[in-house]
Amino acid sequence: MVNATKGMFISCDVPMAQFIINYNGSLPASQKFIIHILDNTHLFVQPHAGEMIRNAIQEFREQNSYEKPN
Amino acid sequence: MGHGEKGRPSKRIKSSSSKEEYRLAAFTDDDDPSFMEGAGEDDDRDGGEEGKKKDFTKLELKPDHPNRPLWACADGRIFLETFSPLYKHAYDFLIAIAEPVCRPESMHEYNLTPHSLYAAVSVGLETETIISVLNKLSKTVLPKEMIDFIYASTANYGKVKLVLKKNRYFVESPFPEVLKKLLKDEVISHARVASEGTDADGFTISKAMGETVGGHNELLNESELAAAAEEKETHSFEIDPSQVENVKQRCLPNALNYPMLEEYDFRNDTVNPDLEVELKPHAQPRPYQEKSLSKMFGNGRARSGIIVLPCGAGKSLWAFQFKLWSTIKDEQICRFTSDNKERFHGNAGVVVTTYNMVAFGGKRSEESEKIIEEIRKREWGLLLMDEVHVVPAHMFRKVISLTKSHCKLGLTATLVREDERITDLNFLIGPKLYEANWLDLVRGGFIANVQCAEVWCPMTKEFFAEYLKKENSKKKQALYVMNPNKFRACEFLIRFHEEQRKDKIIVFADNLFALTEYATKLRKPMIYGATSHIERTKILQAFKTSSKVNTIFLSKVGDNSIDIPEANVIIQISSHAGSRRQEAQRLGRILRAKGKPQDRMAGGKEEFNAFFYSLVSTDTQEMYYSTKRQQFLIDQGYSFKVITSLPPPDSGASLSYERLDEQLALLGKVLSAGDDMVGLEQLEEDADDINLHKARRTFGSMSAMSGANGMVYMEYRTGKGKLVAAKAKPKDPSKRHYLFKKRFA
Repeated sequence: MVNATKGMFISCDVPMAQFIINYNGSLPASQKFIIHILDNTHLFVQPHAGEMIRNAIQEFREQNSYEKPN
Repeated sequence: MGHGEKGRPSKRIKSSSSKEEYRLAAFTDDDDPSFMEGAGEDDDRDGGEEGKKKDFTKLELKPDHPNRPLWACADGRIFLETFSPLYKHAYDFLIAIAEPVCRPESMHEYNLTPHSLYAAVSVGLETETIISVLNKLSKTVLPKEMIDFIYASTANYGKVKLVLKKNRYFVESPFPEVLKKLLKDEVISHARVASEGTDADGFTISKAMGETVGGHNELLNESELAAAAEEKETHSFEIDPSQVENVKQRCLPNALNYPMLEEYDFRNDTVNPDLEVELKPHAQPRPYQEKSLSKMFGNGRARSGIIVLPCGAGKSLWAFQFKLWSTIKDEQICRFTSDNKERFHGNAGVVVTTYNMVAFGGKRSEESEKIIEEIRKREWGLLLMDEVHVVPAHMFRKVISLTKSHCKLGLTATLVREDERITDLNFLIGPKLYEANWLDLVRGGFIANVQCAEVWCPMTKEFFAEYLKKENSKKKQALYVMNPNKFRACEFLIRFHEEQRKDKIIVFADNLFALTEYATKLRKPMIYGATSHIERTKILQAFKTSSKVNTIFLSKVGDNSIDIPEANVIIQISSHAGSRRQEAQRLGRILRAKGKPQDRMAGGKEEFNAFFYSLVSTDTQEMYYSTKRQQFLIDQGYSFKVITSLPPPDSGASLSYERLDEQLALLGKVLSAGDDMVGLEQLEEDADDINLHKARRTFGSMSAMSGANGMVYMEYRTGKGKLVAAKAKPKDPSKRHYLFKKRFA
């Protein structure tokens, strides 16, 4: 029997995929959102996770960028 | 802009005979209520609302503004158009009165600060001169705030001098009331020493020459030039030599606000013998070197202060260069380092030594004790201090208090420190006398034209996965430095520059683990803190002379002053967190001009003749540090080109770590290395970067923090932190070098 799961398809570069996998791993089991790791640059995740992932990435990137103080 | 603003009478001044005749009259219009209101609103120099600061609609354009090169804003900022025909004059003037903030190609930004105005006064500019020249250069009518600020900041400047006479220090001023005011201060009255021959107030009275206006003559008219030069009566009191620094500090703008000028009237010094030394005829000072000298000797006396020139612009002198460029006799110059302890002969000469040798606190050998005693006992004409940015303040204090000198000159390329201790230098040495514009020197062909590039290397999947793990937080640096993609980019660049361009390459890595791995894998020689002096010399010699050794790996021991003029490519694979100074110093290793002068000039054959690559692993902390580090160079007008496709996709197996199993083996090595192995190299000189540890993240190992890391005593590195004390006095004006003749005429 065919099982259909609704989800979100994520396409990103290699390091970002690793970041998302790591983020997923850091959450308690009930909040894990990755359904399938398709390959190095593609993931299939729960439909509601999009915003959460975006925020996590945003925060991570901010940590790594320097802004000249004024 | 604000030409026809209603309710405000025009403050543009009726044009008199010459268009240069703009005056300040408008600003003394105190009975103009609307104007005063406006001034009150704008007075938000310290903070206030962002919006107001950026609102310049009130600035009033002069009718002939296209002919004038700069914009002056009420908050003290000044913008200079570098394409103006008056640029050169305007630059010389602005650099004397204001602090450069950012100097890209077409537009410079400066800031007026109390310290910069103090520096201006100490090179002989008077308040009225500053305001009138500024007004002439400005496209807009000078904002009242700016004029008030200049008056307020300079009112007290130049009134007090610190003078060394016969090995005793005196505080001197033409105004006895100022001295009385100073003596009300506890620190200063405490430092006072009673001396004979005094008047009712206890002050010694003597005569001194008046100031003659130096520089900027071209911008001043006749009447202004005829500044008073008659003899003035001066009053003075003596202070305890050990308290000199405290007294100076009390007089700074943030305390009593009577900053002391230190000048040495060497022409009238009859006590100290002259040193017979001249430049050799073939030694031609470059324009900016002459300019620096003119700031220092502007009024026929020697001023103390700091001169800022880029690396490779020709600042430093050591024993060999003294002999190369000047007519000094061999016996008049001696070295005092851990390797060479030469005794001083005759009654005038030059001693070359290191900060460490003079400031050393432990027990000395009998021989060096004797030399130190001789240095301590005598009075020095000039104390020349190189690389002042690296030396910790406490070491400076020791050196300065030990060597009593009439005049102190500090040299540096980068007046930035992460610990913001630069202001310390202001009272330890003196104000900044001159700062050259890097891009002007590049254009003149005096320093190399460097292409700066940031190479973005994506992390590999496996390395990034480990990087993200919490348990690897101490290994983050090792992981992003050892990123196989970065290694391949480095290997590619080395190969490209060695084979295609026949360049000489320095690779910098602060991380010892990475340094060793890279150098071993690529079979290149490396030098780090623990490399012996003999081996160092051997490697550097091979790099300079052999066509087989074209690349060397250096740890941060190579940041300052290892002199390798042959190198023209730098590849930086790891660096000291966010140190702007380190970035600039490293760039300085390749700034020495190369090739024929005509090829280097604008429009010459070679657009760029030196290359500075910074390899950065993307998506890591390194991106943060890298951007921060570049700030200083960006402020000097350099731009960084971002390269994203290195190595080219087709390089495949010609470079290392192509296969996954190789990459995994490398990863295993990084992960299994002890935490103390993958940290930063610790050197003695790091003391000034304390503030780095206040930055957002820190690297380091437990053993380093506990002090268990062996500190390497670097005294044998004579190249670092040269300190030259010269007892030089000019002689009969007829025999004087032409440079000085001009000045004394």
